[in-house]
Amino acid sequence: MAARTLSLNKRGFNFETFMWAFTRFTVIAMYGLIIAGILGALIISAQSGANFGNILYWAFFPNVAENPLGQVWMTILAKLMVIAFVLSACGHGVHGVLEILDDYFTSEGARRWSRNFIITYAIVASLIAMFVIWTK
Amino acid sequence: MGLKRNVSLSTALGYKGQGPYLTYILHRIGGSALFIFFTIYILSLVGVHAANRILANWVFQIIFLPFMLFHAINGLRITFLDLSPKLIEHFRTAINIEWVAYILVVLFALFVILRNVFGG
Repeated sequence: MAARTLSLNKRGFNFETFMWAFTRFTVIAMYGLIIAGILGALIISAQSGANFGNILYWAFFPNVAENPLGQVWMTILAKLMVIAFVLSACGHGVHGVLEILDDYFTSEGARRWSRNFIITYAIVASLIAMFVIWTK
Repeated sequence: MGLKRNVSLSTALGYKGQGPYLTYILHRIGGSALFIFFTIYILSLVGVHAANRILANWVFQIIFLPFMLFHAINGLRITFLDLSPKLIEHFRTAINIEWVAYILVVLFALFVILRNVFGG
C-alpha cells in the first residue's frame, strides 16, 4: 500500500480537514493530560502520603470525595487539568458521535437535528462539568 | 436521500473485513460506550446518586472498561499512523502490536476490578 503523500495545500483546508485535525489534536491533548495526571498524582502521592487512587477519584468527583491535596496551588492545577481533560473529551466526542450518527441518519433534516442536539448537549455538559469541578 | 442497506444482519456479521474491520467496529462501540460513560459521569457530577451507584457497580465496570480501553488504545494507533503516513504500509503489524498491548492492559484492569470485588 502506498503512503499518502498529498500535501495540505493540494488537499485543501476545508471543514472536514479541520475537524479531522481537531479530533486528532484533542486526542493528543487527552493522552498528554492522562500521562501528566498519572505522573503528577504519583509524585504528590509520594510526597504527601495521600493515596494515589484517592487523588484521581477526588480530581474527577470533587462533589463526593475529600480533597487529599494540602496546598492551594495543587488543588487549582488539578482542577484546571481535569477541566481541560473534560473539554478535550467533549470536543473529541462531539465529532465522533456525529460521524456515527451521520452514517445512520441520512436525511438532511435528521442530520441537522442530530447535529444541533449533540452540539447543544456537549456545550451544556461541559458547562455543568466545569462549574461542579471548579466550585466543589 | 434515504438509508437503503440491502445487507442482512447475518451477512454484515459475516463480513470478512478481518482485523482492520474488527478494530473499526470495536472503535465505534468503544466510542459509544465512552459517550454513555460521559453522560453518567455528568449526571454523577450533578448529584444524581443513581449515577454514582452505576459507576461504582463492578458489572458496569467489567462490561464498559474493555470497550473504553480498546477505544483509547486503538485511537493511539490511528493517531500514530495518521501523523506518520509512511508507516501506513505496516498497519497490520501495528494492529497486531495494538492487540498485544490491549490484552495486557485489559487483563490487568479486569484483575484489579475482580480483586476489589472479591476482597483480595
